Amino acid sequence: MMLKKETCRSRFILAASLVSGLFLTFFSVQVVAFEDDEGCLICHKYPMMARVTDEGVLRSYYVMPHVFERTVHRNVPCRDCHSYIKELPHKPVTQGVTCNKECHSIKNPATGKQFSHKMIYDAYIESTHGRKKIADGLDADKPYCINCHTNPLYNPGEGKPPKHIVDRCVVCHEKREFVERWYNHTSRRIREVKRSSKEIFELCSSCHENKEMLDRHVRQAQEEGRELGRKFPIAAKSYKESFHGKLTRLGFSKTASCLDCHARQKDYFKSVHEIRPSRDPESPTHESNKVETCQRCHTYADENYVALDPHPSSKQEDNVFKYYAEMIYNIVGVVVIAMLIGMSLVETIGRRRDGVSWRLFQGSSWRRKSPRGRDRLK
Amino acid sequence: MKLSEHARNVVETCMKHNKVSDSEREEIEQVIANMPEDRVFLQKNVVSDPLGDLPRYSIHIRVQHLLTFSTFLTLAFTGLPIHFIEAIWAEPFNAVLGGVEVTRIIHRTLAVIMISSMVYHLLTITIKPLWEIRHRRFDIRRTIIPLPKDIRDFREDMLYHANKREQRPEMDKYMYKQKIHYFAAGFGNMVMVISGSSFLFPEFWASVLPVEMVSNFQELMRLSHPHEALLALLVIAFWHWYNVHLAPGRFPMQWTFLTGKITREHQIEEHFLEYLRNLVEIPEERQHLQDVLDSRGLSGDDRFDIEVAQPEGAI
Repeated sequence: MMLKKETCRSRFILAASLVSGLFLTFFSVQVVAFEDDEGCLICHKYPMMARVTDEGVLRSYYVMPHVFERTVHRNVPCRDCHSYIKELPHKPVTQGVTCNKECHSIKNPATGKQFSHKMIYDAYIESTHGRKKIADGLDADKPYCINCHTNPLYNPGEGKPPKHIVDRCVVCHEKREFVERWYNHTSRRIREVKRSSKEIFELCSSCHENKEMLDRHVRQAQEEGRELGRKFPIAAKSYKESFHGKLTRLGFSKTASCLDCHARQKDYFKSVHEIRPSRDPESPTHESNKVETCQRCHTYADENYVALDPHPSSKQEDNVFKYYAEMIYNIVGVVVIAMLIGMSLVETIGRRRDGVSWRLFQGSSWRRKSPRGRDRLK
Repeated sequence: MKLSEHARNVVETCMKHNKVSDSEREEIEQVIANMPEDRVFLQKNVVSDPLGDLPRYSIHIRVQHLLTFSTFLTLAFTGLPIHFIEAIWAEPFNAVLGGVEVTRIIHRTLAVIMISSMVYHLLTITIKPLWEIRHRRFDIRRTIIPLPKDIRDFREDMLYHANKREQRPEMDKYMYKQKIHYFAAGFGNMVMVISGSSFLFPEFWASVLPVEMVSNFQELMRLSHPHEALLALLVIAFWHWYNVHLAPGRFPMQWTFLTGKITREHQIEEHFLEYLRNLVEIPEERQHLQDVLDSRGLSGDDRFDIEVAQPEGAI
């Protein structure tokens, strides 16, 4: 009997394995590793490739080929960015990857020069967010390229271009794979690839809502006697309180997010990299530029309109008027309701004393015997 | 009944406005004289139709009330899920309506209807008094405009309910409660319209206000819109519905908002001065009252003089 049970279980496991195997064979995603001509994957393909830093942080050096294959940098050989690697096995890395390097393997098809992010990097480094890759002190709090640019994956849903387009392109461009990738690259840019207002706010909030980080900067600025934006400590929190913030939370995409005001709309994609404090005359939020900035959405905005506070706060130290207005509203609300309930109770007692009661069908003329003694004549 | 000085003045003014003949005046005076001194006793002995006996609201006022309360409630039920979007109950509310985008459109459409109703009301309450002034029939005591007497009425009424007075005060067509309510609602509506318009047309409000006020005004409006809405909803729920639905004797509801009529006993109880005007203006009411007094043996009856009816322990 026992043997029979064991046999049944083995058969079941075998059948399940077969079905699973077949399922995986037919339906699993085909893994295509990127070209690893430099042999980096010899070591970096191992998931356990990691170390614990002196600070006790686990740093993983594992590269997932099937994931990297789907990223926007899949055609860039490792050493185009990790240019300090000169030999294998390489020495301990002391400097990180910077994004202003020229890619030796990729040429800009428009200019024929080596491809580089240098232009945008130079704009970024001049901005209020600019910092070196290896930074310390307050600069270390600032975002580097990879804080915002996460080397995003291509969406598998947009992976396959229409066959009739590929068929046409391969007549000259020969390689079907090249055409598909090129199609992905361009079609993604033709579509709207900007982050939504909600995503932009979440991204900016990751630093601008970090209380410890903000306190650090405020304290340091005070010590140095350096000027900081009046709204700097409450930028993210107050945006949430604002009308724009509320609409963003509701999911409306046509609402001003951080970048709609703090970046110039002309040359937007470059401008988001060169955000400046509002005291900088080049900033769209500088006094002299506010009307133009607001007019992007609010066509009839004028000098008065820009007096509206896009970062309102109810805190006493930020806005005394709003703080007391809210307090008065709350007190008035409670007092009014309490008084009305009190009046209703007094009236109920008085009317009951008059002999008036609640009856569903006799209407308002029904009366019971009154404690006051003046009853309806029979 | 011997009328108070104020009530006498009301009757005389009404008779003057209606240009009553001498015979009518005699008839009116006779009915008034036949009424028992104790108004509580009078109100308890008249015959009333729960649907209403005497005219109170014109068809215009009833339509305005209908438009206002239906839009007010639907505005509240579409506005609150927008304001409290993150509350657990807001999502199904918005989902039922087709999402918050649809809720916003419905909310704004209803606001336009409510504003139209307000304009209609303003026209009504302007045109009629103008006509009355032109024909020398205007009596401010018969309007909703607050007067010093209302403060005295409020005090006396509270004392009556506290069993410290024998009679409720002689109140006019609109008593203190209705005046408070009317102006609270009027003020609330204005706040809602102005604050709502400041969300829709911020550029307009910024351009008409002094620059120093612009930001605080906008923030105040953002505070006011939900606060006023909640307050109005609570006032309606706790007070208005109490007065017209839940108060003893008013339950399950007064039909006035539909029929435009008020019951006779209610008119005597809370709007005695208006009842006196009814006696002047409606001959049938005089006849009816006289018949009631005769049939119940109350004509000229002084058995129920208020001093006789004083309950034990009353001050």
